Amino acid sequence: MTGRTSDGPSREAVRDRLDRVTDPELDRSIVELEYVDAIEIDGDRVTVHVTLPTAWCSPAFAWMMTSDAREEVERLPGVARTRVFLREHMHDAEINRGVNAGLPFEDAFPDADGAVDAVRAELDRKARIARQYDAVEALLEAGLNPETIVSLRPRDLERTNRGDRVAVYLADRAVGVSVPAAPIDDYLEKARETGAVDAPTDVLFRTPEGEPIDPEAFDLVHRRARLTQVNMSGQGGICDGLREAREKRLERTPSVRRRSGLLLDFE
Amino acid sequence: MYQQDGESIFVIDAHVHLWDASEENIVHEGGEEFIQCFYDYHTTFTPEDLQWGMDEYRKYGADRMVRDLFEDAAADMAIFQPTYLSDFYEDGFNTTHQNAELATEYPERFVLNGSFDPRDGEEGMEHLEELHETYDIQGVKLYTAEWRGESKGWRLDDEEAFRFLEKCSELGIENIHPHKGPTIRPLNRDAFDVKDVDDAASSFSELNFIVEHVGLPRLDDFCWIAGQEPNVYGGLAVAAPFAQNRPGKFSEIMSELLWWLGEDRLLFGSDYALWNPDWLVEEVMEAELTQEHRAEYGVEWDLETKKKVMGENAAKLYDIDVEEKKAQFREDEISRQFGLEDHYASEEPAAADD
Repeated sequence: MTGRTSDGPSREAVRDRLDRVTDPELDRSIVELEYVDAIEIDGDRVTVHVTLPTAWCSPAFAWMMTSDAREEVERLPGVARTRVFLREHMHDAEINRGVNAGLPFEDAFPDADGAVDAVRAELDRKARIARQYDAVEALLEAGLNPETIVSLRPRDLERTNRGDRVAVYLADRAVGVSVPAAPIDDYLEKARETGAVDAPTDVLFRTPEGEPIDPEAFDLVHRRARLTQVNMSGQGGICDGLREAREKRLERTPSVRRRSGLLLDFE
Repeated sequence: MYQQDGESIFVIDAHVHLWDASEENIVHEGGEEFIQCFYDYHTTFTPEDLQWGMDEYRKYGADRMVRDLFEDAAADMAIFQPTYLSDFYEDGFNTTHQNAELATEYPERFVLNGSFDPRDGEEGMEHLEELHETYDIQGVKLYTAEWRGESKGWRLDDEEAFRFLEKCSELGIENIHPHKGPTIRPLNRDAFDVKDVDDAASSFSELNFIVEHVGLPRLDDFCWIAGQEPNVYGGLAVAAPFAQNRPGKFSEIMSELLWWLGEDRLLFGSDYALWNPDWLVEEVMEAELTQEHRAEYGVEWDLETKKKVMGENAAKLYDIDVEEKKAQFREDEISRQFGLEDHYASEEPAAADD
């Protein structure tokens, strides 16, 4: 199979779209986590196959990932129809039917307590807090003090000529400090998505509850952000382990999965 | 007792079960899903050569349990935490009555906990009183995610749950163990939300709330609540086996727990038969915090801390006199059965025989 057909999307473009989909509990890309088993492109039709670490993975999370994947790929120019198939999950039948028919979660799962929005909002909130830790660490590393950090606003940030750095302007723009862009960008993306930061004059960093940070409470808030990261990566450890155990049980060797990963990367 | 640096550490495994998930006992597909999910957790965090087969995992029986816990003195005592799941299993999965088979045979070695479900109303209240009367229980294990007919769970801060907590307080059942852990199919994730512990713990300051599995995967919510409520404790079941195959994560999670709760509010538990203390105790005792985490958090996993977490903290909650127990274990039936009399012999040189 070639990567590009006459009028369809390239495999790389599909993969890039899928890379934007995260496991909501771990805040990591489903491509990086190797949940994507295969991408099939047939003209303007794309089919994606996905497997999660365990068949018992929360149906709400499984729903979010498969529906997000479908939505992302569908946005690509040249894609007329996208199908996402979840494999080896307790509820794969309901999820595959519901997601590919574009149904809302509560229609696909009449037994559930309603939409997935509340669960998603809570996990997004945690993802923002975890990302805040890295952004604040970068600023501390650059020599900014807590009082300054809690007072920063998006308008104080400016991209430098080097794309991988951001300048932070202090003291009425009298002083500029250069910091790595990646953790700041990652944070801003989630902060905007969750509505924690909207206008250029909004306070950039927030408590987990979404309030501006009192300089006195800076250390405690930063500890809480670290804790949120530890929780996410701890859960990642459980998911990793469950996946390994399941692979062994299904006698599907890890090398097969690795091969499918390589196909995605290089085909 | 575990030997380290010339000292003996008395181990109370604060979270064990004697369950029956045999096919004959399963009456709902949820029962099969539940044990399959447990088995995934078992194989994920058990060294490959020590993993059980599925058949023995379904129902291992009292004899095997006694051997696993006590034969090599991996644990010195254990606390039964029942899990009823009456809608899934004909006779229940791991009820107080089932656990009592062993607990009443070796009362010096086991603590037997009860349970309640506020959805059972008056009948449930009578059950709790009966458990207290029959077994003099000092603690209850609560499973807020248990299915009951149409209901998929309940909350500790429900009005009805408060009535049961009042009853516990009245009867002197001081130790409340809510299960707040990983999603276990087919149970809802939301039913393990840890936030309901906050209100219950501040409303019942005379009770101790030992949150089992330290809220994983809501460690952040759990630590934040525990940081504010002095009567909230953390049960280490599920976190403990990270020591075996995710040592870096173990170090990090343990550092967080020690920073937020301190060394007096954490209790070791194997979650037997999810994991087996006969290898897990050693993994946890020999685990180390990384240099980086020790510097970052300013906490230690040293001998004094381990002594508390592995036994002393549970002993305090359950009024167990460790020295008295050691003396008792020089000649109890378990020690005789496994030839452990010398193991529990006094550390002082024996008095001359005159």
